[in-house]
Amino acid sequence: MIEAAIDLLLGAQNEDGGWGAVKGKRSNTESTSFALMALKSLDDKPFNRQTAAGLKWLLQHQRDDGSWSLNDASKQSSWTTPIAVLALLPFQDQREHALRAAKWVLTQEGGKPGWVASLLVRLSLVKKMTELDPYLSGWSWTAGAFSWVEPTSYSLMALKKLKGSLDGTNCEERIRQGELLIYDRMCENGGWNYGNSRVLGEALWPYPEVTAVALIALQDRATNDANQISLRALGVMMREAASGTALSWGILCLTLYNQNLQEWKRILVKNFEKTRFLGETKAVALALLASGKGASLFRV
Amino acid sequence: MMNRREFIKVSAVASLSSLAGGCGPSVRWDRDAYRKTATSRVAILEAKSYRASLEDIISHGIHLFKLDVKGKRIVLKPNLVEFDPKGVINTDPAVIEAAISSFRSLGAREVVVAEGPGHRRDSEYLLTASGIYDVINEHRARYVDLNTDDVRRTKLRSSFTNLSELYLPETLFNADLLVSMPKLKTHHWAGVTLSLKNMFGVVPGSVYGWPKNALHWAGIHGSILDINSSLPIPQFAIVDGVVGMEGNGPLQGQARHSGVLILGDDLAAVDATAARLMTIEPRKIEYLEMAGRFLGNISHERIELVGERLERFQQNYRVIEHFQALKVLTG
Repeated sequence: MIEAAIDLLLGAQNEDGGWGAVKGKRSNTESTSFALMALKSLDDKPFNRQTAAGLKWLLQHQRDDGSWSLNDASKQSSWTTPIAVLALLPFQDQREHALRAAKWVLTQEGGKPGWVASLLVRLSLVKKMTELDPYLSGWSWTAGAFSWVEPTSYSLMALKKLKGSLDGTNCEERIRQGELLIYDRMCENGGWNYGNSRVLGEALWPYPEVTAVALIALQDRATNDANQISLRALGVMMREAASGTALSWGILCLTLYNQNLQEWKRILVKNFEKTRFLGETKAVALALLASGKGASLFRV
Repeated sequence: MMNRREFIKVSAVASLSSLAGGCGPSVRWDRDAYRKTATSRVAILEAKSYRASLEDIISHGIHLFKLDVKGKRIVLKPNLVEFDPKGVINTDPAVIEAAISSFRSLGAREVVVAEGPGHRRDSEYLLTASGIYDVINEHRARYVDLNTDDVRRTKLRSSFTNLSELYLPETLFNADLLVSMPKLKTHHWAGVTLSLKNMFGVVPGSVYGWPKNALHWAGIHGSILDINSSLPIPQFAIVDGVVGMEGNGPLQGQARHSGVLILGDDLAAVDATAARLMTIEPRKIEYLEMAGRFLGNISHERIELVGERLERFQQNYRVIEHFQALKVLTG
C-alpha cells in the first residue's frame, strides 16, 4: 500500500507545490499540510523536491496575521491554521512561522449564545434541545460561530506543542477551557461526533475520526476515565467504519495511547485496495502517516 | 393559525438551532431571484418499493415535464447526512441508481453525483456504508464531495440572512441542471426537510464547517432561501418518498412507508406538495411560506398535480412536540 499511496500523493501535487482535496483541485491549506506531514514522516525515502515545493506553498500562503485561509479562492483566515502549525513544526527552521500562527489561534474563540438564547437557557429550554454548556470556550470552523470538537482539537494539539514558547499569553487557560469543552461534548458511551452528545433528549452517536482527533488532543490526560472509555469506544467504531480516514486517525491515536496496532494496519491496507480512499489527499496522507512513524508528529 | 403559545415554541426552536441554529429573516430578493410562475406542476408517482422499476418511473416523470437533458451535464444531489444502519436517513441508493440510468438514457452528456454531507466529513465511509459507492462504481459515475470542491464566491440574490455572498462549489457552475433528491422527512429545526432544505448540502463544509454552523447562526430558514435564490443553474426535484421519516427527523425519526416519488421543476411546489402528503401545512413552515412569495408556488390552487392523487398517499406523519402547530392543514 505504501508505494501506491506515495504515488497517489505525489501524482496529486499541483504545479504550485500545494495539494488540493483530490487530484486536479486547487491547492488548499489542509490538504497541503497533511501531505507535507506524510512526506516528512517518510524520512527513509526523502522526497526533498516535492517537500520543498509543498513547504514553499505553505509559507507563501501564510497571512500577515499569522493565519492561513482555506485556499486562494477563500481569503479569510480559517480553521486550517492549527493544522498548518502541525505541518511546519517538523521543519527545524520554521518555528517562528508556527509561533506566529499559534498566536493567531489564541485570538480566536467560538461564539457564545446571544441574549435571546441566554434567556432561553435560563428558561431551561436549551436543556431540552442540546445538553451542552454553551458558555465553554473553544474554537469554531468559521469566525464567530459556535465551538466544535474538531477545530478545538486541532487548536489544542498546536497550542500544546508550542505552549513552552507562548509565555505571557493566555495559552494555558485556553487549553484548559478547550479541554473542558471537549469533555463536555463527549457522547454517552464515550467518543465524540461533531460536538453534540444529545439533541432533543436523544443521544447521538460518536464518529471514529472525530473521537481519534479528540483523544489525540487529550493524550496528556490519557488516564482520565473519559479518555479510557472513549478509547474503548474508538476500537468498536473502527470495526464498523473502516474508511481510510477513520482507520488512519484511529491508528495514529492508538499509537499515541500505546495500543496494539497490527490488526488495524492490515485492515487499512485491505481497504486501500478496495477504494483507494477515493483518491482524497488527506485520507491518503493520513494512511501514510498511520503506516509509518507519523504519530510522532501529533505527540504533544 | 398558530396561537401565542405555539408561536413561542416554534420561535424558540428557530432561535436555539444556532447551537445547532438561527434567527429571523427580513424580506428581500432581487428581480432575477423571482421564479414564480402563474401555476406549477408536480408529479406524484407511485413507487411501491425500492425494488420497483424506479428507472421507468423517473423517466416517465422527466417526460411529464418535457425536460430536455440531451447533451447536458446533470448533477444529482442526494441527501447523505449520516449513516445509521437501523435508520432511513439518506436518499436510497436505488433511487440514485435509477436517476443516473434515466438521465443517461435520455441523452445526458454526464451524470455527476455530488453531495456535501452536513455532519460527517468522512465521505468514503458515508458512501460505502450507505451503498451509494457501489452504485457509483457500477455505473462509473463521477462523485464530487461538495464539501471540498473548488469554490467560487457568489453574490446572493436575496437577503433573508445578513450574508451578502456565499461560496458555492465550482461543480454547480460547470453543470446544466441540478437535481435535488431529498428524502421525504420531518426536521426537528426546520419542520420539514425536502428539496429546498436539501440544498444546504451544496454549501461547502470546508468554508462553513461541519455542521455548517455559520448558516445556522445566520438563520436556517433565511439560509435555505438565500441558497436557493442564488443557485447558478436550473433545478429539478425528485423526492424519495418510497420510505420517508417521521418524528425526530432528519436523523433519529422513524421510517414510514409512503410508496411515492414526487417530481417537479418548481422546488417550492414540490416541497409544498410533499409537506401536504405528510399532512403538514406548508404555509406554516417559515421558509416554505416565504419561498411561496418568490421562488415558486405553494398554494394548492396554483399547483396542478399530475400522476396520482395526493389524497391516495397522504399520511399523518408525526412531528416533534414543538411542531404540532404545523399539523393543521389550512387548504
